Amino acid sequence: MKVAMIGWEYPPFKAGGLGTHCYGLTRSLADKNVKVDFYMPKTKHSAGGSGKRNLVIKEVGETEIFPYDRPEDKELAGQFFESVYRYNDLVVERVKGNYDLIHCHDWLTMKAGAALKEKLGIPLVLSVHSTEYDRSGWICPNDWFINIEREGMEKADRVIAVSHFTKGVIVDKYGINPDKISVVHNAVYPIGEGEKQEIVLFLGRLTIQKGAEFFLRAAKKVLEYEPDSRFVVAGTGDMLPRLIDQAVDMGISSKVIFTGLLTEEEVKHIYRISNVYVMPSVSEPFGITALEAVSAGTPTIASKTAGFSEAFQNCLRVDFWDTDEMANKIISLLRYDPLHKTLATEGKRELDLFTWDRVAEKTIDVYNRVM
Amino acid sequence: MTSICMYFEVHQPVRLNRFSVFNIGNDADASPNYFNNKLNHEIFEKVAKKCYLPTNNLLLNLINEFDGKFRISFSLTGTFVEYCERFMPSVIDSFKKLFATGAVDMIEETYFHSLSGLYDDLDEFEEQVMMHRQMIKRLFNYEPKVFRNTEAIYDNRIANKIGQMGYKGIITEGTEKILGWRSPNYLYRPINSDIKVLLRNYPLSDDIGFRFSSRHWPGFPLTADKYARWMSRCEGDLINLFIDYETFGEHQWTETGIFDFLSHLPNEALKHEQLDFVTVSEAVDRYQPVGEIDVPWAISWADADRDVSTWLGNDMQFACFNELKDIGKKLKKRGDEELLHVWRRLQTSDHLYYVSTKGLEDGDVHAYFSHYDGPYDGFINYMNVLQDLKQKIS
Repeated sequence: MKVAMIGWEYPPFKAGGLGTHCYGLTRSLADKNVKVDFYMPKTKHSAGGSGKRNLVIKEVGETEIFPYDRPEDKELAGQFFESVYRYNDLVVERVKGNYDLIHCHDWLTMKAGAALKEKLGIPLVLSVHSTEYDRSGWICPNDWFINIEREGMEKADRVIAVSHFTKGVIVDKYGINPDKISVVHNAVYPIGEGEKQEIVLFLGRLTIQKGAEFFLRAAKKVLEYEPDSRFVVAGTGDMLPRLIDQAVDMGISSKVIFTGLLTEEEVKHIYRISNVYVMPSVSEPFGITALEAVSAGTPTIASKTAGFSEAFQNCLRVDFWDTDEMANKIISLLRYDPLHKTLATEGKRELDLFTWDRVAEKTIDVYNRVM
Repeated sequence: MTSICMYFEVHQPVRLNRFSVFNIGNDADASPNYFNNKLNHEIFEKVAKKCYLPTNNLLLNLINEFDGKFRISFSLTGTFVEYCERFMPSVIDSFKKLFATGAVDMIEETYFHSLSGLYDDLDEFEEQVMMHRQMIKRLFNYEPKVFRNTEAIYDNRIANKIGQMGYKGIITEGTEKILGWRSPNYLYRPINSDIKVLLRNYPLSDDIGFRFSSRHWPGFPLTADKYARWMSRCEGDLINLFIDYETFGEHQWTETGIFDFLSHLPNEALKHEQLDFVTVSEAVDRYQPVGEIDVPWAISWADADRDVSTWLGNDMQFACFNELKDIGKKLKKRGDEELLHVWRRLQTSDHLYYVSTKGLEDGDVHAYFSHYDGPYDGFINYMNVLQDLKQKIS
């Protein structure tokens, strides 16, 4: 089996779950004797070789757009849409070879995927890692993205959703036949444990989607009862200045550390030393970061609507807006060692079910259904 | 002759209010408000309508129809009886009617369906058994002869204690762990007591309790004549069928045909000349032990493990259990009757059952019985309540 896979990011350079997923998936597919040519934009950071016989990384042209960019970002103004079209055209031109199917990921590559399906006359599989509704936090979603997404979903022979939650969005908001959608939950390469400190961690893009403001509100409440606890907001994004202001206004700025963008090694370190991880996303198709935290022995409190919390049993669940309950659970984790220990131990055990091997197996099942 | 000994466990747990860390120590002087009366009331009424009332009615008719040849036994927990008296006295009346037929026996247990049999000493256990004895005496003017501990939890120590307290029989699980190659269809004797041990025939009991409506089971559909035929082929003195009473109409809905099954069972069983029905007291009167059992570590009828890991299987459960025991020691010195009763209601084994992480990934039976979003929420809520109670007495 030979697959032309079209992505947008690939480690070491990545901005989110899409890149992590593509990395784990393609490597495990290659191990299972599926030949994959992975097409992606050329970036300043060269992707380098894959180190796998069945996996070839092919860089096509240059672009400055990333899957989580918004057209309203100033630097891109004026050329955002053009860049997307240009990249998609380039991909259509460059993808040549004897493939059994095309597999593309999220809105950025959907146009190319649909065009290639017609050009090469082979099936198209589409993975949905997030939708415009998620990225906008369900506030004023942009029709331009939605239309691209809908067209891609309609043209795809099969759609892979990263959770039942996302499958529901694809059915309800995009009107896609549920029988055409397979759910394949994400996985993780375990990080390993470290020496824990009294740190409560938020890690993610600081966008409306990720709900860091709710994390700060919970922190305020926790600090009234556990004044020695510390909070870390790791990552960057358009909300950063507002979040700093919020921490100052609430009088907790001395207890909250904003790290800015972290390197991959720093990310691993902060997972390892944190005591509690909180993922208060307003909308979260899956949330691989939660799996990463668990793999570092850090119990996780996740938003009820996150794909992660539907798939993973050994976690605590909250409504993202219920910051009192979030604080209740953070304090419980700080106070009750047996709770912390059981979540950490059972969580790591459950991770055995979340391997990229399993993701690859399920993805191959999907491939077999369209071929 | 092989006697069928059917016994039903009738219990409702004491569900708790949502209690966050912010509630701890908030009103130190007021009476605690831990118990979710609204939810407990709602569920009790629902189960009463689906199970208790219709099943009692059916059993009463069957006993009358077969002129007392159909005989059964019940164990009613104290928490269950409290709900009856508070929310629906007609349920207790219907049990009284059943008992008045003379074909129904009552079994002793701890009033609070607790794990007090596993405490370091058995004083509290004995007190709770005595409370249950008084309750049965008050309701039925009867003193049970046979004891069954919470979820059939049993070890040598408990058996010895129950023997000392004057009971003739004690019930537990007929697991291979204690029987080895031997059959559960006989009475046995503990190594350290003269009491007789009745052992649950778990394959036949679970055919009704768990597998009845399972389409993947080769025995499906289970009919009364088929089941009676299976029993007629059993070797031994006794077939002990011990079943959750809520099986009828609640765990197995009416639509599964569970009531039809039950209504035909006496007739189909009595068609076989070698089968009859006995109550638990009659079983221990009629038959003699055939061997000894030695149970140094506790067993139960719960989960596939048949031990106490359902309640004491992870660190969270041990932490709550130890906290509960410590609070008890302090409370007994204080002698505050109201708080003592609160503490005892917090001993109901269900509180720890909800905190079990066993089989979590498979979403098995534990989730079905829990009103929490998983064991971790169960722990936080229960532990918060225990912390509040601890503050009240310190």
